Amino acid sequence: MNSCRMYMRKGFSNSLLLRLLSIVLTISALSIPASAEVDVDLGKKLFKSNCASCHKLDKKLIGPALSGVTQRRSEEWLLRWIRNNAELRASGDADAKAIFEEYNGSIMTAFPALSDDDIKSILAYTDAVPAVAIPKDVPTVQPVAEPANDLFLIYVLGVFLALFIILLLRIRNTLKQINGDDSSTVIQDFNALTQWLVGNKRFMTAATIIVTVGFIHQLFWFLMAIGVEVNYQPIQPIAFSHKIHAGENQVDCNYCHTSARQSKHSGIPSTNVCMNCHMYIDGTEILNDAGLPKYAGERSPEITKIYAAIGWDAENRSYIENYEQKPVRWIRIHNLPDLVYFNHAQHVTAGGVECQTCHGPIQEMDVVYQYSELTMGWCINCHRETEVKTDNGYYAEAADGGKSINERLAAKFHDEIITVEKIGGLECGKCHY
Amino acid sequence: MAKEKLYWKGFDQLANTEVSKRLAENEFSEDLPIDQFLGDDNLMANSSTSRRDFLKYLGFSTAAATLAACEQPIIESIPYVVKPDSLTPGMPTYYATTYLDGQDFASILVKTREGRPIKIEPGDKTRFNWGTNGRAQASVLSLYDSSRLRQPIKDDTESDWVTISGDLKNAVEESVNDGKQFMLLTGSIFSPSFKLVVEDLRQTYANFVHVEIDAVSSSEVLDVWEGLTGVRAMPSIDITAANLVVSFNEDFLSSGTPQQVASDYAFRRKPGKGMLRHIQIESNLSLTGSNADKRIKIKPSQIGLSLSYLLNQVSDSNYSVGKIDKVLKNQLDSVAKELMSSNGKSVVLVGGNSGANAYLSAALNAALKNIGTTIRPDKPIYLRSGNDRAFENAIVDMNAGRVGTLIIAGPNPVYNRVGFDSALKNVNYSLSLNDRFDETSVATTAAAPVPHYLESWADYVPTNLDFSVSQPVIRPLFNSRPTIEVLSELLGKTKSAKDLVKESVLAKGLNWSQTLHDGGASLKIDARIPSFTEISGRALVGAEIAMETAGSMDSGAMELSLYQKTVGAGYQSNNPWLHELPDPISRVCWDNYLTISAADALSIGFVNETQSNGALDGSLANIQSGELSLNNVPVLIQPGQASGTVGLAVGYGRSQVGKVADGLGVNAYALNLLKGFGVVKITPAGGMHEFASTQLGNTMMGRKIVNEVSLSDFVNDPKGSSWNEKPTFHTLDGTVSADEANLWENHDHETMHMWNMSIDLNSCHGCGACVIACHIENNVPVVGKEEVRNFRDMHWLRIDRYYSSDMTPERADMEDVGVVKKYAEMEKPGVSPEVVFQPVMCQHCNHAPCETVCPVGATVHSREGLNHMAYNRCIGTRYCANNCPYKVRRFNWFNYQKNEQFSSVNPAQDDLGRMVLNPDVTVRARGVMEKCTMCIQNIQYGKLEAKKAGRPLKDGEINTACESACDTGAITFGDVNLPNSAVQIAKNDSRSYHLLEEVGTQPSVFYQTKVRNRV
Repeated sequence: MNSCRMYMRKGFSNSLLLRLLSIVLTISALSIPASAEVDVDLGKKLFKSNCASCHKLDKKLIGPALSGVTQRRSEEWLLRWIRNNAELRASGDADAKAIFEEYNGSIMTAFPALSDDDIKSILAYTDAVPAVAIPKDVPTVQPVAEPANDLFLIYVLGVFLALFIILLLRIRNTLKQINGDDSSTVIQDFNALTQWLVGNKRFMTAATIIVTVGFIHQLFWFLMAIGVEVNYQPIQPIAFSHKIHAGENQVDCNYCHTSARQSKHSGIPSTNVCMNCHMYIDGTEILNDAGLPKYAGERSPEITKIYAAIGWDAENRSYIENYEQKPVRWIRIHNLPDLVYFNHAQHVTAGGVECQTCHGPIQEMDVVYQYSELTMGWCINCHRETEVKTDNGYYAEAADGGKSINERLAAKFHDEIITVEKIGGLECGKCHY
Repeated sequence: MAKEKLYWKGFDQLANTEVSKRLAENEFSEDLPIDQFLGDDNLMANSSTSRRDFLKYLGFSTAAATLAACEQPIIESIPYVVKPDSLTPGMPTYYATTYLDGQDFASILVKTREGRPIKIEPGDKTRFNWGTNGRAQASVLSLYDSSRLRQPIKDDTESDWVTISGDLKNAVEESVNDGKQFMLLTGSIFSPSFKLVVEDLRQTYANFVHVEIDAVSSSEVLDVWEGLTGVRAMPSIDITAANLVVSFNEDFLSSGTPQQVASDYAFRRKPGKGMLRHIQIESNLSLTGSNADKRIKIKPSQIGLSLSYLLNQVSDSNYSVGKIDKVLKNQLDSVAKELMSSNGKSVVLVGGNSGANAYLSAALNAALKNIGTTIRPDKPIYLRSGNDRAFENAIVDMNAGRVGTLIIAGPNPVYNRVGFDSALKNVNYSLSLNDRFDETSVATTAAAPVPHYLESWADYVPTNLDFSVSQPVIRPLFNSRPTIEVLSELLGKTKSAKDLVKESVLAKGLNWSQTLHDGGASLKIDARIPSFTEISGRALVGAEIAMETAGSMDSGAMELSLYQKTVGAGYQSNNPWLHELPDPISRVCWDNYLTISAADALSIGFVNETQSNGALDGSLANIQSGELSLNNVPVLIQPGQASGTVGLAVGYGRSQVGKVADGLGVNAYALNLLKGFGVVKITPAGGMHEFASTQLGNTMMGRKIVNEVSLSDFVNDPKGSSWNEKPTFHTLDGTVSADEANLWENHDHETMHMWNMSIDLNSCHGCGACVIACHIENNVPVVGKEEVRNFRDMHWLRIDRYYSSDMTPERADMEDVGVVKKYAEMEKPGVSPEVVFQPVMCQHCNHAPCETVCPVGATVHSREGLNHMAYNRCIGTRYCANNCPYKVRRFNWFNYQKNEQFSSVNPAQDDLGRMVLNPDVTVRARGVMEKCTMCIQNIQYGKLEAKKAGRPLKDGEINTACESACDTGAITFGDVNLPNSAVQIAKNDSRSYHLLEEVGTQPSVFYQTKVRNRV
């Protein structure tokens, strides 16, 4: 329930649609007429998969910026160069040699598998995106107004109802006055009602019970909720978005959280892991919802924080020597008390539990929040219901001529589903020691 | 009539003693420690807080605490910037390295978590001294000792290394100019790279002198072996080749020899035909002596005579031997017979540092043809090379003002040598390179810190067959520099210790990475030892002179033998784990004391009294040895102590070691008994001393707590029906075993694992390494002397020691002594008792009495045969501890991690000491029960590793801390449901029995009957 509401508030579906639409529109609007075989979309795809690790459109990376390359070189030369640049250099082409030396002899991969049309598509793509046309004042997208809170509506209704009752009473009084009867003010009516209620023993007994039970109930749940931090969503030192990484770019959770498979900690990736990608992706290429460069062609300030932590000189593309590295001080979201032992590897590797089972739709979170209660009841419920992955050799294979655990479990439980509870997953000492 | 009838609680009340009066007045026998709970006693007494104020504060603080609890603190998670490849957060990493604390040497594995060393494990079994004793186990805490020296110190103010090196250089040059000596004083050096630097210094400075000393000297013994073999080293002892060990005052199982022989000894003591026989002839009751099959009491001055007498007996020679006591002579005759019957397969060892005794034992071994079989001079051990004569010369030179510069790297001669203190005053410049600002560092011109062994690079040649390296497992915590670097710098070389060690490794033709990975390599160096017959010949030729020396040895009415407790020679005196471990024999913690026989105590007028709360008090004594004396030494009456002898442990009485041990005990080195024994005069001093003893009951009172059988009975009846009878009960269904006579349903223990533990009482020597390992692994708090005295020690695993009594039920029947006297007598340990050790931890009963009485279900049973304890459920009623027949549950009386009362003893009180805590185990809060979990963290870890690899669990894969710390393999842990697992085999052994089996608790721990090789 909570989580559903959260998605709505975050305007998840809206923004996704908007973004897709804008990308399509941008691309179609900027497309230049191309021959039937040349396809800008295909070119983009090929560019991302083959070229992007060394080239950018608008600036030097390992290789030169490619925007407008068709104006600088002939198509024929480009075809030869891209397909096999070493061959072109060997043939004594002066341009080829010059560019090779300009980039300190970095050898570009040969792409013999690309057809002429493929290469032309890539070139068309490099032409399609204007290199310099970056408006400095990026139009900001107005946030969609939040829908009114349900509770607020109820209050408004309540106030109306109260006014309505008062209005009715006044009408009655006015009518009484007209009739010549004894009229009473609203306050007098109210007093009379209260006196009657206070004098009524049954009502008082019932009210006392209701108030007491209600108070205890509320107090109980208030106390039970202490330390339960569902939806805890602290502001992190770097506005890292799991939605962009795990969601849109489909980076596997284990790529960064490597130790989740082996260790009790899932592990926060060290900064050098970030640099595996962010050595090349510095944010200049990120587009906003309107399809315009989000940071006006500058590096993303968030990615710059990674560089500051590890000491990466983005201009010279090298690590700064003797740099005093500053570790990123993340705020821990999922806090278990010290008295409980939790092991990620047990759940991820041995249990085959998806990260999302406990962490929620992490691939949709821009800012991570605590999805689950992380209370003992929550743990226990899952242990009661979850089936053990008994195909693991630990259960399935027999050691030294004895019976395997599976055989022994079958003898005891027959055809029943083997839940974690049945192998002792509810015992205190399994998690508390 | 009813008025006149009185009931007495006991004889005390009838006699109307002081104690009973006090007990009658107070509801509780001792004051409840309420003020201690609340903190400062002083503050409480002077407080003007009224009852109303108290209630106000109470209300406010409750409300404030409740409100504060609603707010979750912000916790940061800080990852590495660049993570080392070898490290996975949450997973342990192991490194092979070498442990050397100045006394012990061991090849070890260090367990590190997130870059912090947290546990010492035994090394590879092919390496020299692979086992870990208590000191090796505890040494990881010495790394995090907050009393370590952090900065170089000059003139009592903090200095820096540039100043220290500059001063040293100047001082050395000045000495050269003045024609004075430049002296280097170290412990025993057997590091090739260090020797190279020393050699370089000798080449560079003509006035350079290098002197080595050991805290507990072996100098005379080394002289003897140097004379016999030409190599200044101890010979190896091969117990596996022996059938009989005869040891004179040599505590070879705990601290005597530099070589670890405990595992070989245990291996040869496996019950069955050909089991090793052990005769111990000694003055103090040592750990080794308490494991002996036969123990003979002797005065230290008689050892030389006895060796001479034995030599005459076994070699038909007829040297004149001084007067020997008649009883001893008879006993020696039988020893001689046994020695002769195992010719070439026996070994005679002698303790102490007497050259004459060492020579005679060599001669005796030669006569018995043991040299080359059990005594192996061809495998010399280089761990001891201290030379007392060189040291005496050094003191003479120092006193004469001939020493200009003195570097003291390692030893602490101000503490453990008499006369060094005053000699040091005549040295122009002295520098102490030390891990702490100890007694010697205080007296030197400057002091500078050296790294702990876990922070250091080093290489060692402990024997002629082994090469070991030491690698750092953590960056140096303080501004320390290795001695070898300081000395190299003096020579104008700027090589790091790592470079020097690497050069040394490569020079031996070894692979650098592989050597580091293994912690060393096997490397044969030619020791150039003469043939065994030549050595034997030499030993026998010189025996006569040795006999004369032995015959003229001082003897007196009272002779003192020095010995070592778990603290050892004093290098790790500031380690609270070593103090908290009860002495294996006396069961006294946090003290050293004069051990004396009951008869001598009676004649001098010493008493040991038990107070109303069970705590032990002892008289004080003054010891006089020649000119030197030691006053107010506590006296402990020790069964088994030879009459006319007393014992005193070294390693105590420190004044500059740190907050844990400063002022603890008395300094036995102050008596200057370099031989290890001497004649003393004991006189009573006024007053009483308070001991902290963990065990009051000394005997088993005729019960089968430790089951014992003699070897002949064991061999004749291997099934054990006569000596391992199981208790039975007569019920309506007939006679059933204790296991079958049940009130409860049985647990399902067949489906999953069933963890069982077997403890072989034959292999257990009682050393206590397991107890320390348990402390480290499970974050068991150290509680200090006061609390141990109150019987609030927190040991999850204890080793009970029982003496045999001279009174047995059979003897009582025969002599018709009456019930009261019988039990009174049975409670007293015998004059020459046999000793048994029994490690007791939570027995993990399958019908656990503790589980049924817990009102909150905090202690419950698991289907893997364990008794779980959920600390956070526990409300501290302590019903479980009361209902436990084994008394293994420990109640957490205080917040040991925070309470100021424990700030000097509990390592977890400072940031540094906390680094040693095991991150996988909770640090328990005040007011809960704790107990052995069978290292459930290791069980869970092992199971998970198997699941990750997708394979079934293997036998021996999961170890408890006590099991891996035990060199002798006395503890076997495993899954009894696994066919042919070691523990299953042990369970089915005829020797196995449960402790208090008749109670019907069905423990998961069982014991193996002790077999004594009696003749």
